[in-house]
Amino acid sequence: MNKNVIKFFDKIQNIDRRYIYLVVAFSIIIPLLIPFNSPTYVTKPTEDIYKKIDSFAGDENKAILMSFTHDASTMPELFPMEVSVLRHCFERNIKVFTICWLPAAAPLVDYAINTAKEDFDVQSGVDYCNFGYKPWAIQLPIMLGMGDDIAKAVETDSQGRKVENLEIMKNIKNYDDMNLVIDFAASSSSITWITYARARFGANIAAGVTAVMVADNYPYLQTGQLMGMLRGLKGAAEYEKLVDVFAAYESEDYPNGRPFSNEIIKETRVPITGDTVPYKYKKARIGMNAQSVAHIMMIFFILLGNIGYFITKKKEI
Amino acid sequence: MKRQIPLIIIITLGFMFVAHSFIPHKISVDFFDWFQDWAKAISPFAVSLGIMSLFMVHGTKIKRKVPNWQYSVVTLAGLVFTAFAGFVWGTQSGTPYMWLFENVQMPMSATMFALLAFYIASAAYKAFRARSAEATVLLVAAIIVMLGQVPLGAMISKWIPETSTWILNVPNLAAKRAIMIGVGLGITATSLKILLGIERTYLGGGD
Amino acid sequence: MFETISNFVAAFLTLSIFSFLYKDNPFYKFAEALLVGISMGYAIPLVYENVFMPYVYTPIFLNHKFIIIIPALLGSLYMLRFSKNLGWLSRYPIVFGMSIVGMSIPLSIHSSVLVQMRSAMLPIDGINSALIFIGTVTILLYFFFSKAHKGIYGKVTNVGIWFMMIGFGASFGYTVMARVSLLIGRIQFLLGDWLGLIK
Repeated sequence: MNKNVIKFFDKIQNIDRRYIYLVVAFSIIIPLLIPFNSPTYVTKPTEDIYKKIDSFAGDENKAILMSFTHDASTMPELFPMEVSVLRHCFERNIKVFTICWLPAAAPLVDYAINTAKEDFDVQSGVDYCNFGYKPWAIQLPIMLGMGDDIAKAVETDSQGRKVENLEIMKNIKNYDDMNLVIDFAASSSSITWITYARARFGANIAAGVTAVMVADNYPYLQTGQLMGMLRGLKGAAEYEKLVDVFAAYESEDYPNGRPFSNEIIKETRVPITGDTVPYKYKKARIGMNAQSVAHIMMIFFILLGNIGYFITKKKEI
Repeated sequence: MKRQIPLIIIITLGFMFVAHSFIPHKISVDFFDWFQDWAKAISPFAVSLGIMSLFMVHGTKIKRKVPNWQYSVVTLAGLVFTAFAGFVWGTQSGTPYMWLFENVQMPMSATMFALLAFYIASAAYKAFRARSAEATVLLVAAIIVMLGQVPLGAMISKWIPETSTWILNVPNLAAKRAIMIGVGLGITATSLKILLGIERTYLGGGD
Repeated sequence: MFETISNFVAAFLTLSIFSFLYKDNPFYKFAEALLVGISMGYAIPLVYENVFMPYVYTPIFLNHKFIIIIPALLGSLYMLRFSKNLGWLSRYPIVFGMSIVGMSIPLSIHSSVLVQMRSAMLPIDGINSALIFIGTVTILLYFFFSKAHKGIYGKVTNVGIWFMMIGFGASFGYTVMARVSLLIGRIQFLLGDWLGLIK
């Protein structure tokens, strides 16, 4: 082999890691600065959650619970999911509860609600209710207690009001009514919901997880113990798209959004450039552009590293 | 008194919980209600452990003037000031307490994890090698899954996301299920050991 | 103006942490120390308002449920954890909270073992279900160390290794994705909220 090639690979094998860091930074900065439209393919685990939530539209006797089990460190992946789910609920008049188990998650719940509710006429205690921060140490008593009586288990909401007196609690008693729990987490905490709320009370559990946790959750997805899963930034982008295509769709025929349909998803492209969709509702999809470039860069690094490895190994032999 | 009574408490209550799982009787429901109220009243005090441990670690560093002890002053000052701000000016949006969370705590904690993107890129380049057949399989699976998750992968070929979904739904599922069954048995065994007083490390050292 | 200053502080601290990529430096150390302190300090008023007030103060002082004094005293024993002579008293609140593991025995064996085993033993109706069955069984055999992995048994457990490698590859692929996503979030903050370059 050409000596220069070997020398080149020898040299780049030992390149200062800080050059790699620079390439990583640029591979993300450039696609974010120059946004482009790329297709978002919606997958079944996301679709299942959307359809389940949508089936509660306008139903006074049904509600969903969003459990926030993460802090700001994983916000880029989970926050767009949470905003999209809340937006879906507010668009389609679905009762939604929120709860969190970490002190650092409490303001994130407020941010998510405030971000989504700006465009809707919704009221705390009537259309949605934030149960607020409950310490980790009493997660199990509350999780199990909600199977019997939510108001008794939670007692007060984030504003210190007695939950039992709130209007939203009318017809909502336990997991039979609050029929879907979505756990947003950077850990395996959805397993706790599966183990306690599902195994004991048959509650429907879904997960919105960081990409790190995705592969581990597949066995639960196959058994139906998880009825759906939002998977990392891609899951957030998929949900953003579904809300745009169906729930936020406005026309004379469908003034309150239109029903789910696989044909429509295939046909519809929602542009993320321009002002059609507010930035806060397309953040994950814009991020996915950078994700594409960064993944190609990572694969390039892996291949380059391996080519270099085999060439230098051959030389040693 | 020091070890036996805590063990008696956990064994008694633990077995009552096992029974509670199977018996939907009123006594069982009342027992759970009682436990809920007590557990809630106990829980706020657990935070004191974190505060005390932080003060002890950093207080010692400051007292002994170990290298970089000045940063321990920053930690303790941050702790005291934030707590003080919360008690004096309240915890609502727009208060100094929330300002600290939004502009200091939140960006820093998010950035700490963002650093890992750089490290994983560097590791991918310098350490992720196809040294054996098994490592090659791992590498190929990783590349397909990475490509399968982004729009660009589907634009290259529709087989990429389809293969990625197959990997996740079939071989990955089998692998994770087998590991999960092992972990599930492990959790059950550990819980049983705690309940039977065999596992006692949670009691800490001493007599 | 106020928002600009706030964003500047957040951006400065973000860049201070990123500066560690170049090398360890006082800016990074300062930011790290501040993060630890503020995180803990932040939790104190929150726990007081959201946990102590509704679960201890209100029941005892407003609703006069004086029995709650007992768990409150039990909880305060946590504070003796670091005491040399009285540290053992902190075991009481710990064991009280831990006793709920009793419920995890029937429930976790149900959700993580029985349901998973049931799904692993479905009638084999195609190549995929056959592969899932073979993969699960061979990996379980791989983790059975009471028999030496030699001969035919060794070959069977080897199949398990291949399945695991694919599983780990999938996890690695997703881990890369997660780390990149988090960096994207921070760069969206720096370019968008701080510099106003993304709209």
